[in-house]
Amino acid sequence: MRLRVSGDQTGNEYDLGLVMGQETAASGLPHGDLMNDFVEAICARDGPRTAKSRQAIVDALGEGAMLDAAAVVAAFNAYPRMADATGIPLEDAKEAATAELREELGLAAFNQG
Amino acid sequence: MPAHDAAPRALRPDLRDALNRNHDRLAQPGCWLDGRQRLDVAAEARNAWDCPLCQVRKEALSPHAVSGDHVGLGRLPAPWVDVIHRLVTDPGRLSARWYHDAMDGGMVEDEIIEVISVTVQAVVIDCFTAAIGMDRPAPPEPAPGQPARKHAAEAKTGPGWAATIAPEDAQPDFADFYDNDSHFYIRRSLTLVPGETRRLWDLLNHLYLEDPRVFELDGLERDISRAQIEFLAARASALLGCYY
Repeated sequence: MRLRVSGDQTGNEYDLGLVMGQETAASGLPHGDLMNDFVEAICARDGPRTAKSRQAIVDALGEGAMLDAAAVVAAFNAYPRMADATGIPLEDAKEAATAELREELGLAAFNQG
Repeated sequence: MPAHDAAPRALRPDLRDALNRNHDRLAQPGCWLDGRQRLDVAAEARNAWDCPLCQVRKEALSPHAVSGDHVGLGRLPAPWVDVIHRLVTDPGRLSARWYHDAMDGGMVEDEIIEVISVTVQAVVIDCFTAAIGMDRPAPPEPAPGQPARKHAAEAKTGPGWAATIAPEDAQPDFADFYDNDSHFYIRRSLTLVPGETRRLWDLLNHLYLEDPRVFELDGLERDISRAQIEFLAARASALLGCYY
């Protein structure tokens, strides 16, 4: 997972459980709580919550950060759909490299095959 | 004025330009769908969220446990509507059965892929505009012209249930699509229709990263860190129930 790779490259430690909705406060990710609220609101198509979390990011990090975050969330409303629509499996190398991580995070629950 | 030049906030120029290109291309003839059809697919993607059948299915233990008809806009055949609605509202539970049902319903596989691409683009645009607090631009008028409807003979089924063009089989005019070792399956997923997949990736590359292999952000201008980017990416994927 690239979040772990980023941590390896920068020397930061992140609790990857935050990806699966675990508590963001102690995750090590700067402004993880703001990021999480924003992505959850957008994916839930919750207008009021999106507006509130958008403003919180703008207040804390600036408009550019909010736009960049929005862009990533939008892109990742595409890639999963492309993958799920065509049934692509994990690449062999990726599957081997992430076996322990996927077990730790319980990602097998998403594998509809 | 180009559609996204009216955004309430100052977008990165490359992103703004990619969004504007995407907006214009939506209404132009694609590879298998004409401009009118492409606009209708996008409109149906937006309509999917209001479909009662989709809403009930989403809550069911299995989408196959609920039968019925989608409430569509009445512009597209039923198999098209099912492809679009399921992809929009319940992507984590799509299956080979869903895909093959579309072909059994009369869709040509190449049409399915272009419908998937256009649907995904509509979802992405809606997601982005809602996130930044912008009204979605009005759709353009359909451009005249017919699609070439030329099937890529070099495509083969795999690695999933859809036919794709493997990197080693790419013709000279498509080989560059796999440059920079970009052989990930996600990149390959919609290559049955090469021209359409290029259009889609032109948009996605500017929303995310053109080359995710870069060290951290490697000179790219972003106001969030690589770690924050990857958290958002992974969290969105998890919320969509995506295994890949």
